[in-house]
Amino acid sequence: MSEIKVVANILHTNEEITSQNKQLLNEKGIYVINMMSSPGSGKTSLLERIISKLKDKIRIAVIEGDLYTTKDAERIEAQGVPVVQINTGGACHLDGKMIKGALDSLNLDNVDLLVIENVGNLVCPAAFELGEDIKITVLSTPEGNDKPLKYPRMFENSGAIILNKMDLLELTNFDKVEFYKDINSLNALATIFETSCVKDQDQGIDELCAWLSQQVNINSIFYEACI
Amino acid sequence: MHEVSIIQNVIEIVTKQALENKLTKINKVSLKIGELSGVMPESLKFAYDSCIKGTMLEESTLGIETVSALGECKDCNLEFPIEHFNKLCPSCNKFCTNIIRGYELYINTIEGD
Repeated sequence: MSEIKVVANILHTNEEITSQNKQLLNEKGIYVINMMSSPGSGKTSLLERIISKLKDKIRIAVIEGDLYTTKDAERIEAQGVPVVQINTGGACHLDGKMIKGALDSLNLDNVDLLVIENVGNLVCPAAFELGEDIKITVLSTPEGNDKPLKYPRMFENSGAIILNKMDLLELTNFDKVEFYKDINSLNALATIFETSCVKDQDQGIDELCAWLSQQVNINSIFYEACI
Repeated sequence: MHEVSIIQNVIEIVTKQALENKLTKINKVSLKIGELSGVMPESLKFAYDSCIKGTMLEESTLGIETVSALGECKDCNLEFPIEHFNKLCPSCNKFCTNIIRGYELYINTIEGD
């Protein structure tokens, strides 16, 4: 009987496709965000606000991920930027193969910022790399401040965390002190934004957009230096 | 989380390795699973017993070595176990970015004829 030392990464198939996707996106100088959260936290609303404020300065494209419907893609399309809808039909997260298919449908020569809005799910997306430069997790105040410790993988991997629906804070028992303490233990390096997408309020949206613009600009400088 | 698709990946990788090494039957597959990987060993075993039927792993056993999570504080050099993803150093309370182990998810060895 033979024993063979293998040492093979079990998720290698996704990582191989993702690596190819990432190489293509890097060659085009595109900054990529993987936006994750539970369903209903406000990802699409945030994206609508971000696009409306930044689209004249930054060329944005979006990949939408949902089990079914094109509802979110239609909302993004109304903002006037290119968008592709992935319908997983049952898969609870996006993966490299799905992203490859979506990238084939986009003209990547005219994109500075690609936002991938992942399937609403606080568990699985954290484990599947999509070739992003940064993961951003959105949590809304009605969901409760205990979610980061309950779903740590999502929050520990994120470069930025958006606390949304701040307009509802007073109506919930969301404890901001506990939230910041818990995030500090999981991921002290994350940049945290407090936002609200309520029309005419737009709390925190300008700060979020300024930070995003900076990330895209830094990426462009790096890209220009490398070519 | 996704233990069935993980086991399907394991079967694919092991079968390929077996063919490359001219094995016709697999007797044991050993995995290393970190406690921060999000994968549950018990669920893996359950999925394994179902998924190996009809494959060259059909009569094999699954061994799982669980790797406990360990951080090394860059400020005070303390090595400490990470519990529930809490990465604050118990000695100096600084956030630890150096996680030495705990995220493993790989096939370590296979045994076969």
